[in-house]
Amino acid sequence: MSDTTLMALFEDIDPASEAIDKLHEMGVTDDRLNVISGVPFTHKMLGRPHPWTNVARIALGGAAAGFLVGIFLNFGTPHLYDVRVGGQVLTPIPPGLIIIFEMTFLFALLSTFLGVFLDSFFPNYRPMEYVPEISDGKIGIFFKVPQDEQQKFTEIMNQMGAESVQPNEARQL
Amino acid sequence: MAVTSGYLGSEKANAEHHEEEHDPRESLMYDPRPRGEMNAMVMESMHTTSWKFWVVLGVLAFLVATCFFYAWGYMIAEGLGVAGVNRPAYWGVFLVNTVFWIGISHAGTFISAILRVMKAEFRRPFTRAAELMTTFGLIQAGASIFMHLGRVWLAYWMFPIPNERQLWPNFHSPLMWDLLAITTYVLGSTMYLFLPLIPDLAMARDRSTGWRKTFYRILALGFRGTEGEWRHLTTAMNIFAFAIIPVMFSVHTIVSWDFAMASRPGWSSTVFGPYFVLGALHSGMGAVAIVLVIMRATMKHMDYFIRKEHFDALGKLMMIVSFTYAYFFFNDYIVQWYGGDKWTDTLLHWLEEGPMAWMFYQMIAFNIVIPFLTLWNKRVRTTPWLLALIGGLINVGMYWERYIIVPVMLSINRMPFTWRLYEPGIEIYLTIGTFAMFLLFYMIASRLIPLIPVWEVQEGQMVHSLRKVGKAHVPTVSEFE
Repeated sequence: MSDTTLMALFEDIDPASEAIDKLHEMGVTDDRLNVISGVPFTHKMLGRPHPWTNVARIALGGAAAGFLVGIFLNFGTPHLYDVRVGGQVLTPIPPGLIIIFEMTFLFALLSTFLGVFLDSFFPNYRPMEYVPEISDGKIGIFFKVPQDEQQKFTEIMNQMGAESVQPNEARQL
Repeated sequence: MAVTSGYLGSEKANAEHHEEEHDPRESLMYDPRPRGEMNAMVMESMHTTSWKFWVVLGVLAFLVATCFFYAWGYMIAEGLGVAGVNRPAYWGVFLVNTVFWIGISHAGTFISAILRVMKAEFRRPFTRAAELMTTFGLIQAGASIFMHLGRVWLAYWMFPIPNERQLWPNFHSPLMWDLLAITTYVLGSTMYLFLPLIPDLAMARDRSTGWRKTFYRILALGFRGTEGEWRHLTTAMNIFAFAIIPVMFSVHTIVSWDFAMASRPGWSSTVFGPYFVLGALHSGMGAVAIVLVIMRATMKHMDYFIRKEHFDALGKLMMIVSFTYAYFFFNDYIVQWYGGDKWTDTLLHWLEEGPMAWMFYQMIAFNIVIPFLTLWNKRVRTTPWLLALIGGLINVGMYWERYIIVPVMLSINRMPFTWRLYEPGIEIYLTIGTFAMFLLFYMIASRLIPLIPVWEVQEGQMVHSLRKVGKAHVPTVSEFE
């Protein structure tokens, strides 16, 4: 029997989090459900596992790369074509700190931005499971259930306070 | 109500006392509305335009076409001779504008990043309005630098790439530091503007049709609001909030080093870095006050989002920044005054008694005296037009400050035979052009971008509540973390 995706729409966080608990009790595992909301509810509020993110690691990697670029610009490039000015050091450290600082932060910021795109698979213009009511503050719980149990889950979600429960197909945003 | 005398005073006195108390429910955070309603208000504010809007837009577009593009094109064709820069004032209004616009841009980062890190809740409705100022201000600052270059098509000589002879730029030069710092700041602040905008663009996408739908659909990148998307976004925003602060400080410090690294009267100062940063915040805060007042007066429903409490908080910030600015100004002044260097003394006397003395005294009056005399008063702070007026005066004062630092201080140097008062030429038109372009961009953005970060306002309203303590309702705040 194939699965179907149901979407239960809730007005508030409290019934939504209780509904998630109920789904867990009924055997719906976390990898088969997804919560979509208009504000960033934390995993603790929803009773969900901590979502993994690589953004901080990517940012750190970018910062390290920027640090190396800064070192190259300040301490490497003057040696590629020596222009020696009487009495002056070819690669002084104090101005180098400024270049290294700026490059480290530039690359850290760029990679943080890139990290959001990579982790979130942005941009993504394919049809996706979504309803516009989400950005009106509603909380949507999308979960996969066997097709023959659709009716049972619909009734339970309605009992848990869902405004609507319906099969959800991917749509063009 | 009958007034009766009691043992400790009259009931009337008690009633008056209660009336003076501030009702926390007047605050945006304690006056929540359904998210859908707030979305509709913001969308309506973007879609509603009167004929006056188009007239102002047309005038600004005309000014940009003539004073910015035509005047710049003319200067490129004729050469820098049409500008007033000459010996000894090689740096004129172009660099005054650069420093001024970078200063304006600092308010966005300050309000959005520092206040976000410090969890100052009043920031929520106007972070985006301030962040937009950062981006548009930096565009004007960058344009002013390119104008100053003269042969703008050779700007790539400053990029960190080797030239035809494999010679790399000299990274020991403060002008190279400038390029790197401003580039970092432009890119950083633009990304920082965009990230929190994504959920609001998705909201606009869900409520639009036609070309707007396509526009928001592309910019929203397919954002839905999944747990993962929020997690990545909030993590990135936290990293940005912390990382952009040192970048912000570095930018104006490095701009100050363009001057302070030179051994010139008036410029060579170890306190120039923080003095410039504070000056930037001072003008930026004033500009935010002006923008908020205009937004509130001209855009629909903005009186719900931007309230007296926000002007009050902004006014307090302006006052604190003004105090700190005064401290750094006096610190810089007194050390130079006490130093006894002949040429510095000459310069200071010239500032105080010379032909530009009016500018020097206006600078002190607008930046220090007027904010001191007015902003301590809550009525002044909560009267939008008054706060905007003070913000405007601060910006005039800060412009004069930069004018004094750049061409005026260049005019008085160690070689009296070169002394000559700087008179701007085509720079005047180009300055008008940058102001017009800033306003034009802002007006266009106000119709395309949700200026209120609705999701942040809703998030704030969800974590604020009133708790009854005795007979009073005490505001309480929790965190979404």
